[in-house]
Amino acid sequence: MTKYHKQVSEILDNIQKVIIGKEREATLSLVALLADGHVLLEDVPGVGKTMLVRALAKSLNCDFKRIQFTPDLLPSDVTGVSIYNPKEMVFEFREGPIFGDIVLADEINRTSPKTQSALLEAMEEMNVTVDGITKSLNKPFFVMATQNPVDYEGTYPLPEAQLDRFIMKLSMGYPDEADELEMLNRTDRRHPIDEIYPVIDKTQLIEMQSMIEDLYIDQSVKQLIVQIASATRKNDYVQLGVSPRGSIALMRAAKAYAFIHNRDYVIPDDVLFLAPFVLTHRIILRPEARYEGMTQEKLLANIVNSVDIPVRKELHG
Amino acid sequence: MNRTKYNFSFSSLLVLVAGFFLFWEWLRPLEQITDTGSMYVFIVYTAFCFAVSFFVKNGWLKFFLKAAGLIFVIDYLFLPKFFLSSESIAQLFEELQLNFQVIQHAAWNEMTPIFRSLLFLTLLWLMSYLLHYWFLIANKFFLFVVLTIFYLAILDTFTVYVATFAIVRTVLIAFIALGLSRYLQLQDLSLPVDRNGRSFFRWMTPVTVIVLVAVGLGLLAPKLSPQWPDPVPFIQSTAGHVGFGEGSSVQKVGYGENDSTLGGSFIQDDTPVFEAYAKERLYWRIESKDVYTGKGWERSTQLEYVPLRTSSFRFQTFSINEVETTPSEATLRYSPESNLSKVPFPYGSSFIMAPNGANLFQDRITGMMEVETGEGNLINQSFTILYEDPSFNIDRLNQVSENDSPEIRNQYLQLPDTLPQRVRDLAAEIVKEEQTRYGKAKAIENYFSANGYTYQTEDVSTPEQGEDYVDQFLFETMVGYCDNFSTSMVVMLRSLDIPARWVKGFTGGELKPDQPSLPNGFHLYEITNNNAHSWVEVYFPGIGWVPFEPTSGFTNPTEFYQETSGEALTPDEPQESTEQQEELEEQTQPELEENTAEQEESSETLAGNDTGNGNVIWVMIVSAVFLFIGAVIGLMKRREIRDWYDKRRWANISRQMELDKGYLYVLDALAKRGYQRQKGQTLRQYARSIDEQMGINEMMELTLIYERYLYRKSDHDMDRDNLRHLFQKIIDQIFA
Repeated sequence: MTKYHKQVSEILDNIQKVIIGKEREATLSLVALLADGHVLLEDVPGVGKTMLVRALAKSLNCDFKRIQFTPDLLPSDVTGVSIYNPKEMVFEFREGPIFGDIVLADEINRTSPKTQSALLEAMEEMNVTVDGITKSLNKPFFVMATQNPVDYEGTYPLPEAQLDRFIMKLSMGYPDEADELEMLNRTDRRHPIDEIYPVIDKTQLIEMQSMIEDLYIDQSVKQLIVQIASATRKNDYVQLGVSPRGSIALMRAAKAYAFIHNRDYVIPDDVLFLAPFVLTHRIILRPEARYEGMTQEKLLANIVNSVDIPVRKELHG
Repeated sequence: MNRTKYNFSFSSLLVLVAGFFLFWEWLRPLEQITDTGSMYVFIVYTAFCFAVSFFVKNGWLKFFLKAAGLIFVIDYLFLPKFFLSSESIAQLFEELQLNFQVIQHAAWNEMTPIFRSLLFLTLLWLMSYLLHYWFLIANKFFLFVVLTIFYLAILDTFTVYVATFAIVRTVLIAFIALGLSRYLQLQDLSLPVDRNGRSFFRWMTPVTVIVLVAVGLGLLAPKLSPQWPDPVPFIQSTAGHVGFGEGSSVQKVGYGENDSTLGGSFIQDDTPVFEAYAKERLYWRIESKDVYTGKGWERSTQLEYVPLRTSSFRFQTFSINEVETTPSEATLRYSPESNLSKVPFPYGSSFIMAPNGANLFQDRITGMMEVETGEGNLINQSFTILYEDPSFNIDRLNQVSENDSPEIRNQYLQLPDTLPQRVRDLAAEIVKEEQTRYGKAKAIENYFSANGYTYQTEDVSTPEQGEDYVDQFLFETMVGYCDNFSTSMVVMLRSLDIPARWVKGFTGGELKPDQPSLPNGFHLYEITNNNAHSWVEVYFPGIGWVPFEPTSGFTNPTEFYQETSGEALTPDEPQESTEQQEELEEQTQPELEENTAEQEESSETLAGNDTGNGNVIWVMIVSAVFLFIGAVIGLMKRREIRDWYDKRRWANISRQMELDKGYLYVLDALAKRGYQRQKGQTLRQYARSIDEQMGINEMMELTLIYERYLYRKSDHDMDRDNLRHLFQKIIDQIFA
């Protein structure tokens, strides 16, 4: 398992060049990408979401597409349209931005549910259907959707079922002062994004993804995941707990995380570390929980702090 | 972690001195409740041990000094020869040898004083070590204070020891010492308590003032009398004489004091005291008392034992020449359970045959007879007594002059000034129709049963302060047992100017099936503690002391007869009815016969206890304290013990060097030492925190290997030498 270790750390280094002090988010984004999932970034504008995705795309030598969601955006603006070619006398399909390898779906909650679902369907099914013709999306395919939590005026919050399709929800947050100063220093002369060079190509990326799928995860660690998921369902504050899809997402993310850390097996630390990022957006609390100051984050932290870590070999395992 | 250093300061010395005074409170009662003598020597030795503990730092020197002190004390107390002379060493050695044999045979009674003292001194030594540790190193004073108060409370409740002032002293010392102890703790925490002594006084002055004021107020404040009935009889009866019964025995040591406060309930005890082979049921007399205090009985004279050299009695209650007697013989044999050291005898005893080696002593005034035997106790010893069974002529009794000699009047007419007038009035009322002394005595003797006075052993009250025992019985409670009846009769007779005295002993006991081996006409009676009894003797000039039995339900076994009828009969009841009544008593009210007051009896029991039971109690106390000390040392050394145990386990595990066993062992060993893995803490997080706390990094290395083994199910790259090295490093750190 030393094959891609070097590349992984180089990719992370690349992102570090552009976005300073956000190692965790960078790593998690890469985890989501390697786990063949998609990320929902909930953040205020201007903290470097775009830069993060661009750095990622460039390191991986992938196509980078960006969709700025607006209220008047149509589904076809996302998926693409068929246009009549008078010369050839046929309808030609013009691919929409979704056919990129890495897509930044900016301010996804500003557009109409119809357009949102066009994107989310594509994410889920890995193909788009336009005018009766189904076209497969490329591999790799990684969507990073952002939403602005500040203004809710004229927004269409994503329904729960659709949130479930993001493997994790991240938040960048402001850099601390030292990091921000460093950022100013770097951008002073030339934007660091230009210094980034590709580390691997698409085929290697796909190979990495399949390696991760095959990565060993022990029965005891799977049980730990189930334990966490079921704890969210049993909790008194919770109206809707983590779905089995959430458990699968957590397992895949944990595998990718283990891969990034150059391990060919998952350990409980991976699961516990990832659980808040993978699971918070899949939990709906009861209304009264908010009055008692309970949030999804606190709830998950409580659960994670009280799980039984398997520390001895089960005889039947 | 282990604080073995303490501040060698004035204040810590004070704490230790206070601790010594508290410990002294533990030693004080011993003189009273056990037969420990020369207490001051032990206290001096304790003080010496405390001082050595404090001033001497070197452990071996401490040991040497304390051991030397111990030998010196033993030498001072027991050995006649010069200190450490060859004879004294030889004697000591001999004693030790003897006593180890005694211990082997569990014959605690045989333990010699020198060995007991040796054990006791060792105990004091250990205690000094323990308390020094507690007070100055562990800085835990409070527990000892609590224990001291418990100890005093228990002794006060269950023994003769009165802890009234001990508890005041204890509170005073304890709270001041607690203040001091707190001061030492603050110094340890290096809080801003400087050491120039000023702050010491600033701290201690208010502490002392508060304690003194509180104790002063407490002493002055009015106090409620006990709100509960005395729990001791209840506990004793519940405990069935097993646990606290021993305690009650201890309580009654010291014979003379015991009748000084009569009253209160008592519980049954059918332990056999002796068996008697006699022709009839006899009253067994032990002694009499002559001074009534308003609460109980005391002696006006010291006991003066005179050896009975010729085995002939010099003590007589009546004049043989003036009274009709029948020569008779009785044998008494002490039961195995008996601890009576007096010899009871029937009226008219003239000659006693003691077993070989037994020397008899008798007090000529009370008649009390003591035995000195080589064996140390009277178990299974037999005495055969020849006696002249008296039969008093009622006519003769009615005719005697009533001019008592001045000696008799002086000794047997005493009454306390506090005796209420109504007692005297009642006595005068009862006898107003009687002319003769005998008639008066008989009238009073019969008064009780004829007027609804009830025999009862439970719920019998004790006179309050300022209340007269007899007055309370006659006019208020009207229930009681032999002591109430007999004392009342004596007091009323005395108030009528009739000399009388109060007599203690045993009733005739229970008739056992006839033994074929007994000579014709003899029966076997078993006398138990329940047969302890008290009755009355009235003086008739020229004739002597005549027994009367005022207690309801009891019959005077002494015969009276009237010449006119020519028949021997008891004037109040014909002979047959007496026997019937006795049988009735035994059948319907077995308790009654058995219930006969045993209070005096238990005092009897204990009079002989100084060497017998006392030793067993002593051994029990010593072993309890040794156990306690062992437990405390175990507690103090629990880390060492645990380490030793864990090391042994490790030795086993490391032989096979299996990763999972080893790792789980490490987890367990760490958890036991306070490094508990939190819930939800992964092995890695745990290993990191352990490494940080111990300043190593092997735990993490080991954890990574174990993780791979556990979550990858792979152990192919395990290097045993490396494992061994990692484990060793961690284990070393754990036991460091």
